Amino acid sequence: MFAVTWLTVRQLTVDGIFRGCSFGLLGVGFAMILGVTGRFHFAYGFTYTLAVYLAFTFTFRVDWPFWPSAIVAVLLTACLGAGIERVVYRPLANNAGATALLAVFVAALGLGIAGENIIRLFWGSESQAYFGPTQKVYTLWDAVYTNFDVWQGLSGVVIVIVLTLMLRFTSLGRRIKATRSNPDLARTIGINADNTYVICFFIGTLCAGVSAVWYGLNLTVSPDMGAAPVIYSFVVAFLAGTASSPVRVFLIGIVVALIEQYSSIWLSVRWTQSAVFVVLVLYLTYLAFNASTFRTKFRRPKLAGI
Amino acid sequence: MDLWINYLDQILIYATLALSLNLLLGYAGQVSVAHASFAAVGGYAMGYLTQQYHWNFLVGTLIGMVLAFVIGSLVALPALKLTVEYLILLTLGVSYVILALLVATPSMGGTYGLINLPNADILGWHLRNPIDWVIPSLVGMLFVYAICRRIGESPLGRVLKGIREDPISTQSLGKNVFGYKVAVFGISSSLAAFAGSMLSAWLKLATPGLFGFAFSLTIFAIVIFGGMGNLNGTIFGAVVVVLLEPVLRRVIKMEASRSAVVQLIIYGLALVVLMRVRPQGALPEGFSPWRWLRGQRGPVKRVEMAEGWVPQGNIAVREHAGIDSMPSGGETINEAERRRERSWHDAPVVLQTNGIGKRFGGIVAARDLDIQLRKGTITALVGPNGAGKTTVFNLLTGFIPPDGGSIKLNGEELIGLNPNTVARKGLVRSFQDVRLFSRLTCLQNVMLAVQHQAGENFTTLTFSHKKVKSVEGQTRAKAMDWLGFVGMAEFADVPAGGLSYGQTKLISLARVLATEADVLLLDEPASGIDTKWVDTMLDLIEAVREQGRTVCVVEHNLHVVGRLADHTYFMELGEITAQGTIAELTNTPRLAEAYFGTD
Amino acid sequence: MLQITKLQAGYGRKQVVFDVDLTVGHGEILGVFGHNGSGKSTTIRTILGITPVLGGTIEFNGKNVTKSSSRANVKAGMAMIPSERFVFADLTVIDNLLLGAANDPNTDRRAQRLELVRGLFPILVERSGQLAGTMSGGQQRMVSLGMALMANPTLLMLDEPSLGLAPAVVQQIFATVRKLADDEGLSVLLLEQNVGQALRIVDRVSVMRSGRVILEETVEQMRARDSYWELF
Repeated sequence: MFAVTWLTVRQLTVDGIFRGCSFGLLGVGFAMILGVTGRFHFAYGFTYTLAVYLAFTFTFRVDWPFWPSAIVAVLLTACLGAGIERVVYRPLANNAGATALLAVFVAALGLGIAGENIIRLFWGSESQAYFGPTQKVYTLWDAVYTNFDVWQGLSGVVIVIVLTLMLRFTSLGRRIKATRSNPDLARTIGINADNTYVICFFIGTLCAGVSAVWYGLNLTVSPDMGAAPVIYSFVVAFLAGTASSPVRVFLIGIVVALIEQYSSIWLSVRWTQSAVFVVLVLYLTYLAFNASTFRTKFRRPKLAGI
Repeated sequence: MDLWINYLDQILIYATLALSLNLLLGYAGQVSVAHASFAAVGGYAMGYLTQQYHWNFLVGTLIGMVLAFVIGSLVALPALKLTVEYLILLTLGVSYVILALLVATPSMGGTYGLINLPNADILGWHLRNPIDWVIPSLVGMLFVYAICRRIGESPLGRVLKGIREDPISTQSLGKNVFGYKVAVFGISSSLAAFAGSMLSAWLKLATPGLFGFAFSLTIFAIVIFGGMGNLNGTIFGAVVVVLLEPVLRRVIKMEASRSAVVQLIIYGLALVVLMRVRPQGALPEGFSPWRWLRGQRGPVKRVEMAEGWVPQGNIAVREHAGIDSMPSGGETINEAERRRERSWHDAPVVLQTNGIGKRFGGIVAARDLDIQLRKGTITALVGPNGAGKTTVFNLLTGFIPPDGGSIKLNGEELIGLNPNTVARKGLVRSFQDVRLFSRLTCLQNVMLAVQHQAGENFTTLTFSHKKVKSVEGQTRAKAMDWLGFVGMAEFADVPAGGLSYGQTKLISLARVLATEADVLLLDEPASGIDTKWVDTMLDLIEAVREQGRTVCVVEHNLHVVGRLADHTYFMELGEITAQGTIAELTNTPRLAEAYFGTD
Repeated sequence: MLQITKLQAGYGRKQVVFDVDLTVGHGEILGVFGHNGSGKSTTIRTILGITPVLGGTIEFNGKNVTKSSSRANVKAGMAMIPSERFVFADLTVIDNLLLGAANDPNTDRRAQRLELVRGLFPILVERSGQLAGTMSGGQQRMVSLGMALMANPTLLMLDEPSLGLAPAVVQQIFATVRKLADDEGLSVLLLEQNVGQALRIVDRVSVMRSGRVILEETVEQMRARDSYWELF
């Protein structure tokens, strides 16, 4: 069981990095949403799944080529994400006041459940194969990966770079950072927080959609495919700190994926997921007992304090 | 027919699990999305022991419950300090880890789980058919219902609700918030394990798929839908959620694969709509269907306040205290003030601090504080904004541990004690921002503060119904007395969230008084309330002094200080730089400079 | 410039401002003094439109803005600096400044304002890449003032700008505010507990206690008092 070959390690590393790009991108999107808006967007997994299904439909039912269908699908889903904030979460949060977080969480839960089953209703419950461009297999130092892995990695890196530049150099980026850093002051200087929230939902959902398309091409699509990635995105975003920069979140995503991959050396494949959760539980326990580091890392004081 | 009986069994077992969650979520306000995995602990323990070792069903269940209690209590340890989103994440992580552990253990059947479990045997009665299960699952549900009700609707439940509304405030009233949270997490988890064992025995299997995260969310949805903090609502929620699918299939004649999907769409969207139109759930907390049927709609009584309503307070107490109006302003040292200062010096010291201090990073919040509070007197802390006055209260009551020094209350060292222990020793504080329990009534707010309640103890609650009842009666009477004292008796049944600001300050005072603590620290008792009320408030505080209690106030309004204080400490930048009567202090030019800046 | 009459304000059921009347003229500095919790901060939060108005009227530049949103008021020329957390701590100085002009699409005017701020506080140029939260208290105050000025305001509301600062720094900041009022015609509402320093720059004085204005005086009358204790 412990006889680990170099090849295995190399393969796990390559798998981990590509998988990590996917986790990282999901984490970046979720952190964008939770860190700025404070909405616990559990329906994130639903928008993830929907993006692939829409792309799938445009390709096979409407007969568009791959790229236009993928891009339109991702953009449409991103608009839906923004719409969820505008139509569902915002009025809900305004109504609920102090208990907004729980109310939004429950509504998001409901949306997620309803959404997944709406997909079942329209597309069926079975998993289906989604073909786009031909899959090509490459090897690097004997480790195997596909062209979709490369696309996944590339699009992740590109989005993170674009986001970082946007946050750093544009007026929109400054407004987003300002809302995340100090929402009260942002309001005082006349920044429209509502719009910023909608934009963050758009960006966050976009990240999920992009990640989903590559995942669907590599494997198969099914209505419940969003369940695991959404959990990973929570884990990555929280481990990195929801107010962290996209680069940091992305890197943490890769670390999480590597932990998961390497743990398969010692643990059965079924176990690897839980390695990540063990890390998560330990980290949260550590945070709970180290309040001071906690406060500085996150946007608002998250602890019940004085 | 068997089919509908199966649904009945399912409703009862789901309701059992959801009830256990409601105790945690609705009463104590602790979010858990791990209840399916606590149920799994029960299901697997029972399944394994009955299948492998042919132990009795009840014994297996009991062992599962004990196990879940331990796990649940452990989860509660970090949960104490986490807010909602982190609690969701933590319980999510825990639920995955528990399931993964089960899957990874070969003797637990791996991915397939435990299947073909033997028929449950309850004292020689073998349960084979769905109809056999009706009575055991009904009894099981009633058992859990009874426990949840006993805990939830008791003095102990009041404390749990207090923790839900405001843990800090609950702790300040001498309740061991930490212990309660751990205990209720443990109890709720073990009840979940009980439900899980029932479920496994009924289905004759315990598999990872059965107890997956989706099941946790279903149970969560039942509680939310039925109404948090309402046990009847939870049963109603279970009925609706379980019956939705068969009704779609059999009554509306939808095909089987479709009905399962449509059911989930409906209940997902229902959650969204519910959060928008009725976030408190179908049956909100405190709503009783029986009362409703008898025509008493809604337990919440609203007392509309007349324009210009002013609290009357207990006139007798005030007259007894011999309060006459004091001249306001402090330009000259008047005789009354001198007399009060002299009596302060004659009074015995109740609380004495020596050299306590606190640094936060590079900032000195408090340095070398020597403060004396004397019996039957009012001491005031004044000073410019940011001088660290509230920090002093936090240091004294143990909310912030001092870096060094000593705090002696009647000769007993307080440093190192929890805030709740400090409060029980007779040092209680109020909060600048009041911190009432807004969903509890005024009476409940004050009752929560009464010390030594038999019904707040798990053991007494379980074994001594009579004692709990009689103590509860006394508690209620005491609380009503204090409400009467501050002139708010007519608002006893009004939720604190429905009061005006001035009224919340009065309830807050009543709450502090009801602890019967010797030393009261009042943080800005008169700030932010209408001028017309300030006098009432000050009369009350003076009456408290006449009762021989020791009072310390932080106040910015110097007129209030001038009227109340027998002795005043002046603080600037975390240090006490002067003390004396307020008139003496205001005649010191240097202090004026500290307060108002240099010319 | 600004005229508020019979203002009532508060949070939910907590009314903390009662019947407040205040006026500020063009290029004038009105000092509002009072102890903590006297309702000063709530008054300006209400003027800006963050806290709801429960009664009374607010007129700004001759227009009734009682019901305007904070965003509209900022666009119309109001700026407010809170007493705490008045910079975006994890953003750079230059980001903070540019955020002040976030609602102004005119880049020329923005550049012009930036020049003005640079002239007033040269240190902000040197430190433009530094995170605002890592600067000293006085420098953070300068950042906040610069951020407010970037919006090209005609009315500036300052909530205890002297809090936690050394007297020399307070003096410098107050001098800048006076200069802005004189040179740029900026109207200022200055909330202070530091009466001594503030009296050097204000034109008129109002004192608040328990949510009401209890006194309106000239600077000379105020200075003539033996002590300010009875006002607090």
